[in-house]
Amino acid sequence: MSVFDGLKFRRVYSPIHNLDPRIKFIYVCAIFTTAIIFLELIPLMILFLMQVPFVILAGVKREWLRSMRGATFLAAVIFLTNFIFSFISAGYIVTAFNLEHAVAMTLRFIVLVESFSVFFLTTSPDHLGLALEQTHIPYEFCFAFTTAVRFVPVLAEEAQTIMDAQKARGLELERGNFLKRIRNYIPILIPLIVSAIRRSLELAEAMESRAWGATESRTNLYVLKMHRGDLVLIVITVGILALAIYVRLFLGIPSMNDILGRFFEPQYF
Amino acid sequence: MSIIETKNLTYTYPGGTKPSIKDVSIKIEKGEFVLITGPSGCGKTTLCRCFNALIPNFYQGELEGEVTVIGLKVAEHQIYEMAKHVGLVFQNPENQLFALSVEKDVAFGLENLGVPREEMRKRVDSALNLTGIYDLRERAPHELSGGQQQRVAIASVLAMQPEVIVLDEPTSFLDPLGAKRIFEVIYDLNRKLGVTVVLVEHRLDLTAKYANHIVIMDDGRIVLDGEPRKILSSEEARLIGVGIPKPTRLYQILQKDRVSLSNTIPLSSDEMATMLREVLKS
Ligand SMILES: Nc1ncnc2c1ncn2[C@@H]1O[C@H](COP(=O)(O)OP(=O)(O)OP(=O)(O)O)[C@@H](O)[C@H]1O
Ligand SMILES: [Mg+2]
Repeated sequence: MSVFDGLKFRRVYSPIHNLDPRIKFIYVCAIFTTAIIFLELIPLMILFLMQVPFVILAGVKREWLRSMRGATFLAAVIFLTNFIFSFISAGYIVTAFNLEHAVAMTLRFIVLVESFSVFFLTTSPDHLGLALEQTHIPYEFCFAFTTAVRFVPVLAEEAQTIMDAQKARGLELERGNFLKRIRNYIPILIPLIVSAIRRSLELAEAMESRAWGATESRTNLYVLKMHRGDLVLIVITVGILALAIYVRLFLGIPSMNDILGRFFEPQYF
Repeated sequence: MSIIETKNLTYTYPGGTKPSIKDVSIKIEKGEFVLITGPSGCGKTTLCRCFNALIPNFYQGELEGEVTVIGLKVAEHQIYEMAKHVGLVFQNPENQLFALSVEKDVAFGLENLGVPREEMRKRVDSALNLTGIYDLRERAPHELSGGQQQRVAIASVLAMQPEVIVLDEPTSFLDPLGAKRIFEVIYDLNRKLGVTVVLVEHRLDLTAKYANHIVIMDDGRIVLDGEPRKILSSEEARLIGVGIPKPTRLYQILQKDRVSLSNTIPLSSDEMATMLREVLKS
C-alpha cells in the first residue's frame, strides 16, 4: 500500500501551513514573476535561497528535498540544451559567460519548481478547498476538487484490491509485448469503472439527501481570516516585487563572472 | 396524525418489469422506533427512498399512491425540502462522507441550507456530542473505522434536526460490537430527543428490544405490521425467514412444549434471563 500513501493528505500545523492559501498563492506568483524578469545568476540565487527559511519554518524539508530531486532530470535537460545551444552559437567554444547563462536558466527553472512545491507542500487540500470557496469560484468546482482529493486514495486502494483479486485468478500483467500488456489491464479497468460509477451514484444520493442545491447562498462552517502572518507575507511579497522592479529598471546587475574575475584575474584591471 | 403515512404505494424502477414495492400502506407515529425487515430484495431500500422524495425526484420510474411526511405530500416537494424533515443514513459509510474533515461533513447539510455560521457551529457541536465523536471532529473521514464513519453519517443527518431519521442497514459493514454501539446511539436519539426512527435491519436479535413497531416485508409487500412481540412470535414471520431473535424463538419452542414462562414474549437475552430466573426461583 506504500505506493498510495503519498496520495493521502495529512493535516500539519506550522506558521506556514496556517497562512491564508490565497496570500501564499500571490506570493508564489510574485516569486514566479521575479524569476521570469531576471536572466542573471545572482538574483536567481537570492530567490532560490529565499525559499529555504519557508521550508524550514514549515518543517517540510524531507518532502521538499524529494520534490527537488524529482526536478533534477528536467533541470539537467534544460542545462544541456542551453549549454549546447550557446556552445554552438558561440562558435564551438566554451566561454564562462555561456556557462553562467546556462546555469542561470537552469536555476530559473528550479526556482519555479521550488516555489510551487513550497506552496503545495504547505497547503492542505481542505485549506485550499476553503480558499477556493471563498474566492467566489462556483461551489460545484470547489466540491469537485475536495471530493477528488477525498476519493483518489480510496479509488487507488480499490484498484490495488482489484489487481490482487485478478492476479489471484491467474491474470498476468507483465506478460507479452507492449500492446498485449495494455490489453492485460482491461480486466482491471472494467471492474474499477463499474465500481466508480456505482460509488458516484451512491454519493449523489447521499448529497441529495443532505439538501444539496437547496439555496444559492450557501454558508460555510469556516471563514478564512487574515492573521499577522498573512500581513507579514503581504509585506514581503510587495517588497520583493518592488525591489525586483527597481533593480531591473535602474541598476545594472553584475554577472558572477565579473565578481569572480575581480578576485582571480587581476590582469583584467 | 401520523408522521409518515403511505397509501397504496406502488413503484417500478425505470426499465423494471415488475414493481419493487406493491400496494404499501403503513402508518408511522411520531416518536416511534420502527424496525423494517424482510428478505433481501424485498423493497426495503426502495421504501426508504420514497420517504424523502429520492423517489420520484432522483429515481424516475412509475409511482402510484401517496406518501405524506409531517403533512407534506412528498411527491410535490424537492429532495432538499424533505431533507430538513427526513434524514437518510445509508448502508456504506464510505460513500456518504465527502468532506476532508468530520466537522465539515457534519456541517455539509447545514451549509447547503444556508444556515448562519453561529447557529451552524452550535448544531454541529451538539450533533458531534450526541453521537460521541466530538474528539474526532478534525480528523479526515478516511482515517476512521467503519463504525466511526457511520456515526459521522448519523451526526451529519442529525445536525439538520430532522423529525425522522431513516437508517438503511447502517451496520451491514460493521462488526457486531460496532453495530451494537450504533444501535445504542440511535436508541438514545429516539428516547432522549424524541426523534422518530425508521431502521431497516436484518439483525433483529440486536435491535428488536428497541423497537415498538415492526414492519415485515416480502416481495414488495407489507406482510406483517404491528407490535414487535406479537409479530416476532408469529408463525408467518418465521416462515418468511426473518431472523427471529434467539430468546423469542426459544420461548416459542418452549411454549409449544407447554412450558410457559410468563405472558410477555422476550425480545432479548436479558429479558429471557429475568424470566428464567423468576421461574427457577418459584
Ligand atoms: N436503482 C435501481 N434500479 C432498478 N431496480 C432497482 C434499483 N434498486 C433496487 N432495484 C430493484 O428493486 C427491488 C427491491 O430492491 P431493494 O434494494 O429495495 O431491496 P432491499 O429490501 O433493500 O434489499 P437488501 O436487503 O438487499 O438491501 C429489487 O428487485 C431490485 O433489483
Ligand atoms: Mg437495501
